[in-house]
Amino acid sequence: MASGLGLESLVDQTISVITNDGRNIVGVLRGFDQATNLILDESHERVYSTKEGVQQLVLGLYIIRGDNISVVGELDEDLDSNLDMSKLRAHPLKPVVH
Amino acid sequence: MSGRKETVLDLAKFVDKGVQVKLTGGRQVVGTLKGYDQLLNLVLDEAVEHLRDADDPLKTTDQKRSLGLIVCRGTAVMLVAPTDGTDEISNPFVQPDGA
Amino acid sequence: MLPLSLLKTAQGHPMLVELKNGHLVNCDTWIFVKLSVRQRFSSVRPPDFEKIMQDGDRFWRMPECYIRGNTIKYLRVPDEVIDKVQEETKSRGDRKPPGVGGRGRGRGGSRDEGAAGRQAKGIGRGMEDAGAKGRGKGGPGAKSGGKGGGRGRG
Repeated sequence: MASGLGLESLVDQTISVITNDGRNIVGVLRGFDQATNLILDESHERVYSTKEGVQQLVLGLYIIRGDNISVVGELDEDLDSNLDMSKLRAHPLKPVVH
Repeated sequence: MSGRKETVLDLAKFVDKGVQVKLTGGRQVVGTLKGYDQLLNLVLDEAVEHLRDADDPLKTTDQKRSLGLIVCRGTAVMLVAPTDGTDEISNPFVQPDGA
Repeated sequence: MLPLSLLKTAQGHPMLVELKNGHLVNCDTWIFVKLSVRQRFSSVRPPDFEKIMQDGDRFWRMPECYIRGNTIKYLRVPDEVIDKVQEETKSRGDRKPPGVGGRGRGRGGSRDEGAAGRQAKGIGRGMEDAGAKGRGKGGPGAKSGGKGGGRGRG
């Protein structure tokens, strides 16, 4: 069913969201609806750059509108906490082209 | 059904007053609201479009284009605000975030 | 928890709205945004307002504005609001979360209207259950711990 977005199992877990404008937001999924609007708690944005390490901006409690979401992914918190963000280099994502 | 009526949109109080309208695609129009319907089609009189910079469409210029009496298609309306009480201010945020 | 429940609870709190075209709108009274299918407008209300719109490097203060739901990219809500939602869902018991019925109606045009409506209700209950369980386990302690960790990394 359409209700089985598969997101139920991710509630209260840390997830990573990529938005249509190419941002990567990481936070705890608190809720969602049929339109994939998401509630992200304790969220932060990861800003990637080829010049310096990954910057993390604290965002807090967010409601992200579903039609602005490209990808929702699970995040392995242990693995993630072992990452040295200051050493990561990556190209920022480009926005989705419609 | 909790129904239709719960819409928070109350354009009645803007009728015959100046409104600023932003449309999808980026156009900005200011005019006097003469009428509207529930689909948010708007009738604006003495409408003036605030033209944007051709090189930087995010920037509005001082150039204007007079449109007269127009209908704004509801589906294209993104934002409606009264012009009364709308003022340009300096950056109120010490550190603007999310930009 | 449904995004709309959070949003309803957030009425009366300041919030930041980013639109898809990049404009930021900052409000400190209540905003009511109909997200999702219905795409109604949001209203940002008096009496003591402070609506600030950022348009590139220009800023505007406006008494109120209506924003079409589908132009919204995201809403930033004060952290404490999420705890208030939880209290509400508890005290209201099994009442339908706000907005769910409306969503079913919004889909009215499609041929499976009935199905959409029923489905919407099902989701609402299921999610409330899931949310309640999670809350029970996690509790406020776990939450603040997580937050500290997040900031520390940042």
